[in-house]
Amino acid sequence: MMTNQIVLLPILIPLAGAFLVLLLHNWKTWQARTAFAIMLLSLASSAWLLYQVWLTDEAVVFQLGGWIVPYGISLIADYLSAFLVLMSQLVLLLGVAYAMGAKDNNISYPTFYTLFLTIGVGLTGALLSGDFFNLFVFAELLVISGTILTAISDDRLGAEAAYKYFYISLLASAFLLLGIGSLYISYGSLNMADLAARIQANPGKPLLPFAIALLTATFMVKSAVFPFHFWQPDFHTAAPTAVSAMLSSVVVKLGVYGFLRMTTLVFVDQSETLKMLLIVLGVVGVIFGGLSAIATKNAKRMLAYSTLAQVGFILIGIGWGTMLSIAAALVFTFNHSLIKAAMLMLAGSVASRSKVKSAAFEVVSGVGRSMPYAGVLFFIGCLALAGIPPTNGFINKYLVIESGIDINALIVVILLALGGILTLIYTMRAFQKIWWYPLPDMDQHKAYGDRLIAPSLLILLVIVLGLWAQPLIQYSEVTSAWLLNSQNYIQSVLDAIIPQGG
Amino acid sequence: MQVLTAIAIGILFAIGIFQMLRRNVIRSAIGLIILSNAINLFLLSTGDFQGIQPAYVDTPAELRSDALPQALVLTAIVISMGGIAFVLSILYTISARYKTSDLDEIKGLKN
Repeated sequence: MMTNQIVLLPILIPLAGAFLVLLLHNWKTWQARTAFAIMLLSLASSAWLLYQVWLTDEAVVFQLGGWIVPYGISLIADYLSAFLVLMSQLVLLLGVAYAMGAKDNNISYPTFYTLFLTIGVGLTGALLSGDFFNLFVFAELLVISGTILTAISDDRLGAEAAYKYFYISLLASAFLLLGIGSLYISYGSLNMADLAARIQANPGKPLLPFAIALLTATFMVKSAVFPFHFWQPDFHTAAPTAVSAMLSSVVVKLGVYGFLRMTTLVFVDQSETLKMLLIVLGVVGVIFGGLSAIATKNAKRMLAYSTLAQVGFILIGIGWGTMLSIAAALVFTFNHSLIKAAMLMLAGSVASRSKVKSAAFEVVSGVGRSMPYAGVLFFIGCLALAGIPPTNGFINKYLVIESGIDINALIVVILLALGGILTLIYTMRAFQKIWWYPLPDMDQHKAYGDRLIAPSLLILLVIVLGLWAQPLIQYSEVTSAWLLNSQNYIQSVLDAIIPQGG
Repeated sequence: MQVLTAIAIGILFAIGIFQMLRRNVIRSAIGLIILSNAINLFLLSTGDFQGIQPAYVDTPAELRSDALPQALVLTAIVISMGGIAFVLSILYTISARYKTSDLDEIKGLKN
């Protein structure tokens, strides 16, 4: 087996698995176990991919069909995409683990696990694809799977929230297609590496700013950045817990990936305005997300607004664009995925114990008193979200603020610190409401709810990565250095050796 | 020919965006259909430099149309068809629940 064919594995394993679990829909237990085994296999393959990238110190490139590089479909795993693939698959694996222990009715829907695995296919494919059009196709797969899973949610507002999201995201893909068309007219290529080289050689095409604006709008909708966020709280609240934990942690990171590629690879020379915009919108997102999270009356909705704030931190890291700040953004991306997935799972498991299945504070208030273990986990999650040691949340907030001090962006740093305080306020308020308030009526909650194994593992990782952050930071610094020299990527893609006679 | 195509696509865009901004959910879904067709035509015209020449013919290279946008637009059509079928099916659920197609009446999410 050619070593560069392993890029296919993290996409093909869940894709084949998606159809395999559909065949097993009459045997629910085995369906869930198969889905788990498939995600485990897929996670192992993406870890192998990351190891391969680390070992060879260049992008692993695979050309589907064996065409020479600027033509055909290329799948490319460099430091950034292999890292984000590993992160997504790790969280998705724990998402399947949560779904196996959840009491939701929609888990027994025949295609639940199929759609769950196609979320993985879409996300992995979008991260690994080397051209914009392929990214669009995989992003659509991701959006459709996520929307269907929300539409079948136990929450009866699921269909409405799904419609809202799907409409907006069809518009976003319309923007993406317009952007793709503009780039193709101007430069005659859609391969990111080829496009980057061509734009550097000839930056003056009239449609280029238009294309950048359209791609920016697309990725802003994908990651729910401030003015494009309005669909996100509804959608993430109404989705089934196992799904909303994925949507709010790893799926929003697709936009982050897009912005990293835009500012460090494709539009390097044109990205000053975009970086400025990312900083401004990031700060607005941090403050607005924090204040909105304080004002909510529902634990899951609060966490959805919190995602808006935390993605703001990541965007500011990308916007500063120094080596340290991009490394900070990457560490933040990884850690936030773990924390947010764990918190949403815990909020969902509390909601599963209440009589009416909802995470509204008036319903879940006091429910936590019968589940002290979940309380400990939630408390650690709160600390991590607010950035208090010894959790990994401290590491990433510290890195972002340090990189801001490094370039003397003091006003932004002060606003970020304020955002951190807002985080502490809303998380602690949620903890207090769920675990400290007396239960109004003792028989209002059920004795059994969703199992806590997946959030326990995530919180364990949160603590381990808080105490032993060295490898993650080191890897992020290597990635950041790799990203800041866009020639690395361009060269290793355009010079990729293509197997003959394939 | 190019000017005519450009004007036609522009008119489709205008109609699509106008319909999308309507209060009626069915109309806004139809707006989405028109808009996605406008975008598909735009994508097709990015490669169709020679107007109406097909992609693979025995004509000299400079008279031939670019085949790639045609492949792209084929994928885009399939995806937008799937997406719109899904939008309409959710709309059916929603309008059956609320017995209305007025966006302002559908307010389950507004707490």
